Amino acid sequence: MPVRAIGEPAVARLTVDSMTKRFGAVTAIADVSLTLAAGEVRALCGGNGAGKSTLVKILTGVLLPTSGQIAVDGVPRRFGNPVDAQRAGLALVAQELSLAPDLSVHDNLWLGHADAPMRRRTAASVARARTVLDAVGLEAVAVDTRVADLSLAERQLIEIARGLIRNASTLILDEPTATLSEREIARVFEAVRRLKSRGCSVIYITHRMGEVYDLCDSVTVMRNGRLITTDLVANVPRHDLLELMIGRKLTDVYPAAAAPPGAVMLRVRDLSIPQIVDRFSAEVRAGEIVGIVGQIGSGTIETVRALAGLVHDAEGEVQVGKRIMMLGCSTRAASAGMRFVSEDRAAEGIFLDMSGHHNLVATRLSENVKSGVIRPWTLRRIARLLARQVSFDYRRLALAAGRLSGGNQQKLAIGRCSDRRHPGVILLNEPTRGVDMGARAEIYQTLRRLGAEGNAIVMASTDLEEIIGLVDRVVTMRRGRIVGVHARAAISETTILAEITQAEVTA
Amino acid sequence: MNAFADDRKPLVILAAVVLVLAIALFLRGIGSLDLILFSILQYFATIGPVALGLGLTMIAREFDISVGSTMSLAGCVAVIVGQRDPNLGALAGIATGVAVGFLQGVLVTGLGLSSISVSLGALITLAGLSYVVTGNQTISLNHADITQAINAPIGSVFSVRSLFAIGCFAAAGVVVALTRVGAELTATGSDRVAAATAGVRVNRVVVVVFMLSGGLSAASGVFLSYGLSVASPSGLTDVLVPAISAAIVGGVALTGGRGSPVGIACGALTLCTLNAGLNALGVSPTMQQIILAGVLFTVAVVAAPRLNRIWMRRTQNGGGAL
Repeated sequence: MPVRAIGEPAVARLTVDSMTKRFGAVTAIADVSLTLAAGEVRALCGGNGAGKSTLVKILTGVLLPTSGQIAVDGVPRRFGNPVDAQRAGLALVAQELSLAPDLSVHDNLWLGHADAPMRRRTAASVARARTVLDAVGLEAVAVDTRVADLSLAERQLIEIARGLIRNASTLILDEPTATLSEREIARVFEAVRRLKSRGCSVIYITHRMGEVYDLCDSVTVMRNGRLITTDLVANVPRHDLLELMIGRKLTDVYPAAAAPPGAVMLRVRDLSIPQIVDRFSAEVRAGEIVGIVGQIGSGTIETVRALAGLVHDAEGEVQVGKRIMMLGCSTRAASAGMRFVSEDRAAEGIFLDMSGHHNLVATRLSENVKSGVIRPWTLRRIARLLARQVSFDYRRLALAAGRLSGGNQQKLAIGRCSDRRHPGVILLNEPTRGVDMGARAEIYQTLRRLGAEGNAIVMASTDLEEIIGLVDRVVTMRRGRIVGVHARAAISETTILAEITQAEVTA
Repeated sequence: MNAFADDRKPLVILAAVVLVLAIALFLRGIGSLDLILFSILQYFATIGPVALGLGLTMIAREFDISVGSTMSLAGCVAVIVGQRDPNLGALAGIATGVAVGFLQGVLVTGLGLSSISVSLGALITLAGLSYVVTGNQTISLNHADITQAINAPIGSVFSVRSLFAIGCFAAAGVVVALTRVGAELTATGSDRVAAATAGVRVNRVVVVVFMLSGGLSAASGVFLSYGLSVASPSGLTDVLVPAISAAIVGGVALTGGRGSPVGIACGALTLCTLNAGLNALGVSPTMQQIILAGVLFTVAVVAAPRLNRIWMRRTQNGGGAL
């Protein structure tokens, strides 16, 4: 059911009518219809394989639909290529950024513009670039700055500005905040609200519940290539939205610990990293999940990395079980029982070119060697076992990890940490970055199970929703120092936000 | 001011080389300055366009190593066809190079092959083809007037050949710096996927760059063969290594996305100046090779990003203690 807000013009900005796309015998999306009003911010939700990206590719002219119509401002359109879509006013801000790091902001804004002037740079092109930069809140960024020198959030905003320079009337944002900190997310929100006030429509794809409710007017849920529902955000309670997305009853997306925590597994005293972290101390018990929250630059990620032995100038006392661990050496950390899941999955987390099987057993080769020869059958058995433990479809174990979804890749990274015989500390940075809701629920279950097996779990995350829902204790950090520690019962979003952001006010 | 800033580096290197050689020549007693400049530019006319074409492919994060044999094949074709009509010969030679570039570009983009393997294959194939079309013989061009005209000094230091090379650089420099084509070329080399997502037709950019590379090395080959009045299947000069060196000295990043025609010109001029200057100083060819290698190493070390960072840090700290 299309939504119509009060006082809206009769002609919709964008109309998609019974859109279907088949790849051979496989139907990627079936009979999808939606209507978007001018100035409407629509959340598009759904797990991997829901058909969101197929729909987006059709809307941006990358794919041709098998059947169905698109109309922009009441005019029927047919997009044969991305330039057609651009001219019709639809612009995509892709998840993987599309900026050339070696070019200036100005050149990047005009890059790929269907009607860019032949001259690389004119007074008019510079002025226009300045206008759109200001419009997304990048007043402080000069047009000549090299994009490589900008922060991730600034790059994300430049992507949005590029949509404006192309006169886009509808912007499609694909998980624009997946890699951003809380404060940076606020900048993107601000930019989206400005677009809305200019009458620009936005399709906002996200896995984060909070963003749907904070930013969007209406929400469309897709699942298995079909449109499940479209409604005003106010009419869909969070709980229902989650269930609509994952398509089953939400018994517990965020499971609680089954048993009280055990003995202290990790003891950290005065962990410091010069200029980044200042005397971090904490105790984590077996079976406990502790979340560390803070903005980018607050030292949360670095604290976890230091515990994994990945920060060479970290100092302090760290004890795992009964063993004192030496900092600054990842192999020693691993042998002490630290298992690390990186925030940078592609570069550090998994081997993209290797199969799921090899990824799962990569750290177990030395235990399964006889006279220098690897025992492949044992490893295969272990890989299947681990796959089952992290709810990874074992039939996909032979696929290269790079071909799997973010959720499945993360399951591999976490599965590698599982070791029933030697419980230790599982360290995770941004465990669900770029992971869809269904896989998230499975990852949370896995983390609880790892806890139940006697592991202590420490995770740094910028996703407050997940921190509040999952962890037993939260540690807030600001400028490298601990601000507060709260038990599960006492965790609230406002407290956390206040503690991690209001540095100047309270200090 | 940082002399190691990316865009200034090639110019600084060129200036340093010119300065050192000028002092050496001054101490030794200069022969004829005009003659030295003329020989610098003549060598520049040979390797310049090749370095430009190769450098452009490198900016787009490809690597056309077939330039050496494209050059010699184009020279052979031009001389064979040019026996009757030199203009037609020149045209045929250059067309050969452009066609070779087009084929390589299509293979690289269409089949997703690595440009190094494709152009390595082309390097060997074209070298073989040169032997086939010439019947394994050195062929002379019987148009003394043309040979004379191409090499005759213009304004005592230039010639038709070197003016052509300078023209190529000027044209490429303007296109890259002032048109959207330059931005698209840099974007293609900087991040191919991002550029494609933004709407740049990256495959077309790559194909065109290969065609330019083929065309420019072919033109250089045609001019060289006409200027020497002969074509030889074994190649009249080794251009590949100097061309790569010129591009790198000229600030083109091996990882793509960085470099400019002006930089490549500086790089090529650096090599040509060294070559001519050392010749004028009477340094033996073998010794020249070693000096040249020494200069390249020095450039590589000086230009190393890590050294650059240390340098920056020291200047920021007031250039004080180590």
